Amino acid sequence: MNSKKHDFKSAGLYVHIPFCQTKCRYCGFYSEPIKKHSSQRLISAIITELTEKRGQPALLAPSVVEGSNVEGESFFQTIYIGGGSPSCLPTKQLLRLIGEITSQWPKPEEFTIEVNPGQVNKDILSQLRTAGVTRISIGAQSFASEELTFLGRRHSVADIGRAVRSAKGVGFDNIGLDLIFAIPGSTLKSWKHSLRSAIDLGVRHISAYALTYEEQTPLQKAVETGKVTPVDEETDRQMYEMTIDELEKAGFNQYEISNFAKPGFECKHNLNYWANNPYLGIGPAAGSYWQGKRTLNIADIKKYIDGVEQGKTVTAESETPDNIQVACETAVLNLRRRCGIILDEFKTQTGFDAAKLFAEPIGKYKKLGLIRTTSKRLCLTRKALPIADSVLCDFSTT
Amino acid sequence: MSTELIRNFSIIAHIDHGKSTLADRIMEITGLVSDREKKDQLLDDMDIERERGITIKASAVTMNYEHAGKTYMLNLIDTPGHVDFHYEVSRALTACEGALLVVDATQGVQAQTVANAYLATEAGAEIIGVINKVDLPSAQPDITAEEIEHVLGIKKLDCFHISAKTGMGVHELLDAVVTLLPPPPDNSDKPTAALVFDSECDEYRGVICYVRVFSGELNIKQKIRFMGTGRTHLITELGKFTPKMSPVERLSAGEVGYVIANVRQLSDITIGDTITDDASPVDKPLPGYVPPMQMVFSDFYPGNNTDYPNLRLAFEKLALNDASFSFIPQNSPALGFGFRCGFLGLLHMEIVQERLERENDIDVVQTAPTVSYEVITTDGRTLKIDSPSDLPDTTQIEELREPYVRLEIITTTDTIGGIMQLSESRRCKLIKTDYLSQNRVMMQYKAPLAEIVYDFYDLLKGISHGYATMDYEFIGFEVGDLVKINILVNKIPVDALSLIVHRSVAENRGRKMLVRLRKAIPRHQFEIPLQVAIGGKIIARESIKPFRKDVTAKLYGGDVTRKMKVLKRQREGKKRMKNIGAVQIPQDAFMSILDTSD
Repeated sequence: MNSKKHDFKSAGLYVHIPFCQTKCRYCGFYSEPIKKHSSQRLISAIITELTEKRGQPALLAPSVVEGSNVEGESFFQTIYIGGGSPSCLPTKQLLRLIGEITSQWPKPEEFTIEVNPGQVNKDILSQLRTAGVTRISIGAQSFASEELTFLGRRHSVADIGRAVRSAKGVGFDNIGLDLIFAIPGSTLKSWKHSLRSAIDLGVRHISAYALTYEEQTPLQKAVETGKVTPVDEETDRQMYEMTIDELEKAGFNQYEISNFAKPGFECKHNLNYWANNPYLGIGPAAGSYWQGKRTLNIADIKKYIDGVEQGKTVTAESETPDNIQVACETAVLNLRRRCGIILDEFKTQTGFDAAKLFAEPIGKYKKLGLIRTTSKRLCLTRKALPIADSVLCDFSTT
Repeated sequence: MSTELIRNFSIIAHIDHGKSTLADRIMEITGLVSDREKKDQLLDDMDIERERGITIKASAVTMNYEHAGKTYMLNLIDTPGHVDFHYEVSRALTACEGALLVVDATQGVQAQTVANAYLATEAGAEIIGVINKVDLPSAQPDITAEEIEHVLGIKKLDCFHISAKTGMGVHELLDAVVTLLPPPPDNSDKPTAALVFDSECDEYRGVICYVRVFSGELNIKQKIRFMGTGRTHLITELGKFTPKMSPVERLSAGEVGYVIANVRQLSDITIGDTITDDASPVDKPLPGYVPPMQMVFSDFYPGNNTDYPNLRLAFEKLALNDASFSFIPQNSPALGFGFRCGFLGLLHMEIVQERLERENDIDVVQTAPTVSYEVITTDGRTLKIDSPSDLPDTTQIEELREPYVRLEIITTTDTIGGIMQLSESRRCKLIKTDYLSQNRVMMQYKAPLAEIVYDFYDLLKGISHGYATMDYEFIGFEVGDLVKINILVNKIPVDALSLIVHRSVAENRGRKMLVRLRKAIPRHQFEIPLQVAIGGKIIARESIKPFRKDVTAKLYGGDVTRKMKVLKRQREGKKRMKNIGAVQIPQDAFMSILDTSD
């Protein structure tokens, strides 16, 4: 076994809840209306999958692999329940899941749950907090009601404020909001309003995503048939620039292309992805990077539940990147962080010298002012952020 | 065997007039192929030929045919049917005493019918007029016969009416081959002289020469000499195509077959060369062929410089089976190391391109095709210029000459106006107009090759709703008032984007080139200025605005594999382009500069 692949500092656990009350027209994630399935059976299957994977040696902490088990220490530093919308689960089922996780890994450094602002109240939030959740991520998306309607969101603008205040009220300090810009019909003004509203709510973290036209979504089809016209590229660009400016002015640090946090409130779970550290994904359509393998679970609730219940594998896709691929993936993911590639860490993690491995694109992009290097790190410049893919693609293979 | 019983003939026709079908039927009738083993169009053995319905290489088959109680040996030499392959047609025709000129009764005489008839006459071959597809409801055999008589001087009453598809009339036609075409002269007692009219390279056996023995004989194990190259070889195998290779002991005067003599590479032999006996040679080689004349040139550069050796290998392989294709190393300041390739014409170029792509996995950047120019320098030298970038400085040019062709267009009378307009805009001079029948006309032009080589044919087809056909033949170089257009991309002059054009259209063309390039070069991370210069003076500018947004908004755990693939694809897309400074130029940009449409 390649010991290098286990030489990581942290690992995350992700649980995917593929349920939604209704599907939003832009969403490319796997989810189904909750009415069609038994949430009790799904949660049982998720717990079974989790327990089974826990039993596999790969799930044990590195210290355990090396024979010095440290009792009581959580192996997963971070836990994240996302979706879909986990908050559309019956509270009982959600708490059962959280209870199961915390009984196996008590006191993780960070335990996030995604919630839909229309689906939570003080009571539920309080129970989540008691159960061990430390961070709330709220799918706010926009503070313009016509934009929420356009997206097919069922919550209202008022719901967002209510959800934030409730979360604060029950003692959550670490609250994040997700926002979407470049929604058709939005303007620089409406986007600024959304940003300001989010800032004014006093949250600690904001993720701001340009609306992505995912394949096979109703929104994508509406664009193809000319029913929807995307926001033009220049406005999209200006909205993004405005995001960075406004949030930095408000004391948020941009630590990744789309992520902003008050100091100390960066999402540790997501940082783990961009560090290219391992994580285990549980549930339908969940992705894992475990023991050097990237896998995806079956994106079908029924097949997933049946598979787990019958003791079959629920892995639908699996790929083992070779050393070069790992280096490239690490580079691409690291470069999404404003801190970029930390050369020492990269070397330890992948065995490659990033400056040498990517000498060609580095040389080219330094000249164009899109990459900055110091003796310790290598990162995208602000100028490169809006066009990051055009730079990162040259790090995707060698 | 006496040559009295031998007939060597070709089938010549306009494309799609039924040449290959007739060849199949003849082989069927002579028992060479049974129905079951028959594949359509047996003579075409390359995929591309089959797909495009074009025969590239001349092939030869030997058949037996009974007539009036005697068994005749018929050698059918296949010829390509397209405008670019005059040279190969002429090679095949020289090896024959006669030719069947096939005309589609639904289409009538077409441009290549006329061109092929000329070639056959030049080669001294007897022509039998054949009207094909007479079984179709739309056939007009009488009008077609009139046209044949009018344009080609073959009596309409002497034409054979056949249907190659059903076999109707083919027996009678074969009887005519025997009775009307002359046998080859009997020179078997003279010293050996055989003409190499084609060649092919076999992976295992080396070069296979297609030969026509004119005098003496070829024997197995004979020591032969290729008179042109002076090389001597021992014949290891002789044979005929039936249509498989069937070895024989001897090929005598008048016969057609193949020779294998330990020749490794196609480049070791010259098409048109004479094979003679090394010990008792003939005094003079046979009147050979004119060497192939490459009229169209284009540079090929590997997308990735490290692929240069692979590209060379690929071209060497292609040249093995295509003697009319040439390539020489070329170094472009903008594009690096590559090759200047010469082709018979544009179609020939496309075929080579396709084979290159099909048989090799190399990304190639190809420059716009250009014709060959002649420069008389101020110090009296004559230079052959195959690329605008090789053009000397204007101060050193006394005269710049461009190639001219005789262009024949056959069309319907209602489209004359449009065609005359097109021809005029391309500097073509009408020589004569000849009415083939009431509503069809042949127009003969003197045309600068550069003007008709690229999109002329497509435009002609468009104007004439697909009816017009054209053919051309090189006639010579003539002085022209020509200038070079230079393009600067991001302030760097790109030699591979330069073009030689007539002064009267230069400015207009230059502006069009910029518009094309602005569309063909994708947006970059920065603004790209495009400039066009004529004689060192910038006459127009354009700019390609940078893209403003290109970033994946979300990249988390489950997305990594998929997003990495998307990024890799994006990078692959870039790699297929050519780097000029920091600008990536896609393949079609190099071609786009020739597009003159509005």
